[in-house]
Order: sequence, then C-alpha cells, then structure tokens
Amino acid sequence: MIPLGLLSAGENGEIVEIMLGKGEGVPGGAGMDKTSVRVEEMGLRIGKNVEMLTNGGNTILLRVDEARIALARRMAMKIMVRR
Amino acid sequence: MSNTQLKYKDDEQAAGGTPAVARTITVAVAGNPNSGKSTLINAIAGTRLHVGNWAGVTVEKKEALFEFGGRKIRLVDLPGTYSLSPYSQEEIVARDYLVHERPDLIVNVVDATNLERNLYLTVQIMELGIPVVMALNIYDEAQEKGYRIDVKGIEEMLGVAVVPTSATKKTGLDELLKRVLDVADAGAGRAPRKLSYGEDVETAADYVAEALERNYPSLLERYPKRWLLLKIMEQDGQVLEKVNLPDQGFLEEALHHLKRAHGEDIESIMADVRYSLASGLTREILEKPELRQTELTEKIDRIVLNRFLGIPIFMAAMWLLFKLTFDLSAPFGEWIGAMTDGPFKRWASAILTPLGAPDWTVSLVNDGVIAGVGSVLVFVPVIFAMMFFITFLEGSGYMARAAFVMDRTMHSIGLHGKSFIPMLLGFGCNVPGIYATRTLENPKDKVLTALLVPLMSCGARLPVYVLFVGIFFPNNSSTVIWSLYIMGILLAVLMGLVFKRTLFRGEAPMFIMELPPYRMPSFSSLCVHTWEKGKHFLFKAGTYIFAVSVLVWFLLNLPWGVEHKRDSYLGQAGAAVAPIFEPVGFGTWEAASSLITGVIAKEIVVGTMGEIYAPKHGEEKKEIPTLQEDLKEVVTSFGEASVKAVKTLLYLPQPEEKEEDRGGLKLAIQGAFTPLTSYAFMVFVLLYMPCVVAIAAMRQEFGTWKWAGVGLLYQTALAWGAALIVYQGGRLLGLGG
Repeated sequence: MIPLGLLSAGENGEIVEIMLGKGEGVPGGAGMDKTSVRVEEMGLRIGKNVEMLTNGGNTILLRVDEARIALARRMAMKIMVRR
Repeated sequence: MSNTQLKYKDDEQAAGGTPAVARTITVAVAGNPNSGKSTLINAIAGTRLHVGNWAGVTVEKKEALFEFGGRKIRLVDLPGTYSLSPYSQEEIVARDYLVHERPDLIVNVVDATNLERNLYLTVQIMELGIPVVMALNIYDEAQEKGYRIDVKGIEEMLGVAVVPTSATKKTGLDELLKRVLDVADAGAGRAPRKLSYGEDVETAADYVAEALERNYPSLLERYPKRWLLLKIMEQDGQVLEKVNLPDQGFLEEALHHLKRAHGEDIESIMADVRYSLASGLTREILEKPELRQTELTEKIDRIVLNRFLGIPIFMAAMWLLFKLTFDLSAPFGEWIGAMTDGPFKRWASAILTPLGAPDWTVSLVNDGVIAGVGSVLVFVPVIFAMMFFITFLEGSGYMARAAFVMDRTMHSIGLHGKSFIPMLLGFGCNVPGIYATRTLENPKDKVLTALLVPLMSCGARLPVYVLFVGIFFPNNSSTVIWSLYIMGILLAVLMGLVFKRTLFRGEAPMFIMELPPYRMPSFSSLCVHTWEKGKHFLFKAGTYIFAVSVLVWFLLNLPWGVEHKRDSYLGQAGAAVAPIFEPVGFGTWEAASSLITGVIAKEIVVGTMGEIYAPKHGEEKKEIPTLQEDLKEVVTSFGEASVKAVKTLLYLPQPEEKEEDRGGLKLAIQGAFTPLTSYAFMVFVLLYMPCVVAIAAMRQEFGTWKWAGVGLLYQTALAWGAALIVYQGGRLLGLGG
C-alpha cells in the first residue's frame, strides 16, 4: 500500500483508503466544501482503479475510467493505493 | 375543472387532437460538467438562448423558450455539477431550483464514455420523483471506443426514457424532444423508479416517513417526499435549517440501527449506497472492449503537459492568441474609430442643427456622447476577437491544460492554476478577466484573483504608452512598452504575496479539476458563446460609458461659457489634485485632469490630453462630404478593413500608413514632460485605479463595493509609490528630471 502520489507515470493502482478527513475542508463553494466528498464525487473512490498519467510538480494527473482528473499532490499523498 | 370538461378534453386527445390547454412545458437540464450539456443546449435552442444570472449569485443561468411539435417548451439549464450535495454554489442553485420550482421534467445529460460517475448524479436526480429523460450524450464517441451500452436495460432498470444523442453531430435531438413531450404528457405516471437503497436505509427511511406524517404532514406536501426523507437522514444542514424541525428525537431512533451497522457518518453511507447503485448499473449495461486504446487526447497530453515542453507550448499558444486577436481586429477597430469621428458626428450635426438645437447640444452629442461612447466601441472588435479565440481554447479543452501547466507558478502567490485564466484574459481587457473569476470555486481565490487582474496591462493602456514612447523613446519603443507589461506581472506576484500574508491568510487551496478530452468546437457554438461573453461588455460597459461621457463633457464645459479649459470644473479639479503628483514628477493640472478622466477608460487619458494641450483651432472650413459620400465611405472603408485583416493574417505587405497629424500635441507634451517623468507617468497609468467598467464588474461579481474599494485604494497607492520610486530614483541616478 503506497500513497497515490508516489505512483510513477504509467503505473496503475487500486484505491484502498482515502484519508482526507471530512472536517479537513477547504473553505470552498458556499464556504463549506468537504474535500473527501469532492474527491469521491469526481470518481476517486475506494476500489477504483486509477492510472497515473503525469507525476511531477505540485499537481498530478490521473485517469479514472475515461476521465482525466488533475489533483494537488498534497491530496494525492493522503489517498492510499495498492499497485 | 368539472368532470364534463375533463371528459371532453380526454375525448379530444383520444381523437388525436391537441389538448385544449397547451401549456408551456418546463424542462430543467442537469448533468456533469464536460458532459456536453452546453453544446446540447446550444444545438437545441441556438440563438433563442437567453443568458442571465441566477438570483443573488453569479452562477450563469441559461434559458430558452421555443416550440417543438406545436408545443411550447421552456428549457432551463442548471449549472453543471457532479452531485446535488450542498457544498458548492452550483449544486445549491441546481437543487434549489429542482426542489422549489418543480420543473415538469428533467433532462439528465449523461456522458456515455463516463457512465459510472454520471449515473451517480442520475441516482440523486431520481430521488426528486420528477420525470426524467436521459440524454445519453457523446454516444458516437462511446461507440467509436467500442463500448456496447444496453439502452433498453437502462430504461428498464431506472424507469426513465433514454435517448442516445450526439450534441456535436446533432443526432438524436429530435428524438430527445419527442420523448420529452411524451413523458411530459404522461405526467406523474412517468416518475422514475424508486431505487432501493438496501434494507437498513429503507427501514430507517420508513421510520422517518411515519414520524413526519404524524407530526409534520405539511412538510411532505412542500417537498419531494423521498428526497426530503433522505436529506433529513443525512442531516443536510441546509435542508434542516429550512424545514426547522422542533423535535429531532425521532431521527436518533430512526438512525440507531443504521449507525450501529454501518458507522456514524450517515452522509458517507448514503454516498456509498448511491455510488454502488451507479456502479452496479454500469456493470450491468456497459460492455467495454478488452483492450483499451491509447486515445488521441492522451497522446496530445503527453506533449502538451510535458514538464519541459508544457510552459513553452503554453507561451507559444498565448503569443498566437494575442497575435490573431490584435491582427484581425485592429483594422475593424480603426474603422469604427474613423466612422464615429467622421460620418457619425457629421450626421448628428446634420440632424440636430436644422432642428434648431443650440450649439452646446450639438457639442454634447458630438464631443461628449459620440466621442466618449465611440472610444469604447473602438475596442469592441478586439474584445470580440479575443473572446472568440478564448472560447476556442476553452471549447477545445486546452484552457484546462493551461491551468494545469501554470499551477506551480501560481502556487507561489497563493493561488492555483485555475486563477491563471482570468489573469490571462486581463491582458486583453480587465473586465472579462474579472468576470472569468466566476469559474473559480473558492470565494477567497475569486476575490484575490480579481484584485490582481487589473495589474495586467490591458489593451486600453496601450494607446497611452504608444503616444509617450513615440515622443521620448523612439529608438527603444518596444523595450520600454515590454518593461511596463513585465512590471505589471512582477507587481501582481508581489501583491499576491502581500495579500496572501495579510487579507487572505491560509493554505493554498486544494486543487482538483477534470481535464476534458480535446474536442473540435463547432463554429456555431463558438459564435454563440463569443456573443454571450462579449455582449456583457457591449451593453453594460456601453451604458456606463455613455453616462460618464456626458458627465465629463459637462465638467469640461462648465461653468457656463468657460473660456479656458483650465477654468472648467475639470481643470479646477485637476489643479486641485496636481500637488499630489508633484513628488512623482508630473504635478501639472493638465496631467492631473487627464488622469482623472482616465478612470472612465484609460485610453481617455490620450483623448483628454489631446483636447487640453491642442491649441484652440479656429473654425476649419473643410469641405463637408455629402450623406451619399459618407455612406459610400462607411461601406468601402469596412471592405478595406476586412482586406487588411486578412492580409495581416497572411503576412502580405501593406501600404505604408499615413502618419497621423499630432504635431501640436507632440510638441506640447515634449515641453511638459521629460523622458524620466514620462516613464513615471506611464507607470502611474499602468497601475492606478482600475477603470470604472472594471470597478463595476467587481461590484457586480462580488455583490459588494468592499473589494472594488480595496482594489481602488491599493492600486492607487501602489501606482503613486511606484511612480515615486521611478522618478526620485531616476533623479538620484542623475537621469534628469
């Protein structure tokens, strides 16, 4: 099990845990965004297979099904995957 | 309605006639971002689209009223959302509309290439109990990928009508509208199936339902029942506040078992249940080919998002954007300028003078209204051209990549990549840049970005630079102008850092966004969106400029019969303010007055200087062209402008332009400024308060004068400080003053 942010480009992994706390919100949207909810709505859920497309810098790029999701590295380090 | 009437109506319908009362059918269109929802709406409604804002928020609202099959249909486009949770402005807008306005029907636009995630929203929409017609969009691409989708299967499992569509190829649209009519006529009979959320959730829901029926029956009439039950169970803050249940004891009891079996967080439990439904359904109805092809989008991304190539490619794309924008639009801008200066003024005089209008009225119309509004109209071609290319970048999918590529740089000033887009637009005109901040989710980012946008040197400041650089730095004109653009960017970085440490403390925001696949936008949708973006400028800015132009004219011509401009109200105001500019090198009433008028739009600085410095010329006895000659000129010069635009684009040689005769103004400015003070003046023009249109845009976007005020104050202070450093620093270095 390693953080999603450590996968290198081209590698696949299955999400096993999302450690973004519910309370740990970004003051977003109407002032009550919840990071984990947002991440899951974009399709990053436990059991999902993801592919790392680009890894370098503050932002990583993933493929989830047919969608490409750009994600802050800080968030990617709190999502655990199994290679 | 009595029974006999009802009977009569039924008979008529049975006989194949249209119903006696053909009321308008209200259809809400909901779907994920990037599901092709806008394209679909454009393809259906085209020019009948009306764009406004949702009440009280800056989320865009699109509506269209049209007829299909002899029936009136009102389409209401809801903001694109991934869910109906209450965590963003878009989601709240969408769900408030669905719950409170109760449309007759919801068209759910679903991306056929991303079924699972899209169906997650579908499941939530179905909770509302409103009939749903699903547009299975991007169906052509799904087929190309080798996906096999069991359309009938979706219809059976969800109890909704499903129509495969391709908005870009305009297929399936008629069928979609036909099904909309069918379902609307069937009424409540076509409500979607109630999906089972599993025994534990359903038992709890039944318990809540009983409690509500016993104690608060009126609530169940006001809200969609199933939706209300689920939201109360999730303890959705927004809903609980609205329904205001005095006694929530029953909720604890209802949720007791659910919590023991699945954990404390009901909201997560429900999200999981919904997502399992979506993913289970996807497994049932979707067959993907064994081998996944590497798509074109991924191949392009490998180059465009490459660590080393990303930024150079982005820079090249921007250079091309500016080049195309200015080359294509400049001749048309000049054409408008020539028209407002020549024929329009002559026509206005020709109409007003015979009517017995006094001279001052003619002057008000010509020198005030036509000159003022005309100076803004000159920028219309540039703005529309820029909006066109920016719409292209957005529609093609590249804009999201630009945000991705610039994310690292933007982090240093406490913003993320998405904020880069508004700043970029700011180089063309700050106003669309400020409007573009609405694409940012986080209110803090929005405000900070909007505060920094005016530091990007917009097109309106260019005429000022060109005038002064031509006089004082003819040999290195481009370097001097370039230095001003760079100064704006560097100061934006500096101010970003300052704001980050003062007004906007806190972590850099979390960044998550979807990069849509590359697509070729259709020309008609490009035009529709260009118009939507540009017309804000045309209408809103137009009215502001009109009013202020009239005001300035009066200030320059009052008190009544004023002989010298210096004694006009504007001149007096300039003289009063002038001492403030003494330390920065241009403490004259002329400079001060032109800066005052420049707040309307910065290019007016040049116009005012022209009026102030130019000697009062006597009545010129030029030959006045006739109306026919004027009309001919309007048409032929437009043709010339078009030819010129095409030629510039193709790099064909152009005949030399005649130098405009501004000898008098040049001499006057040469006497009033030195190279050093002129540079200080340009720095001041670059930085001082945003023009009134930009301020109005900030007021409109944030619904308060507060941030517009902050912007006004900090920029003016920054401008004065920077000009001071330039001037006094330059003098210390012995550059003269």
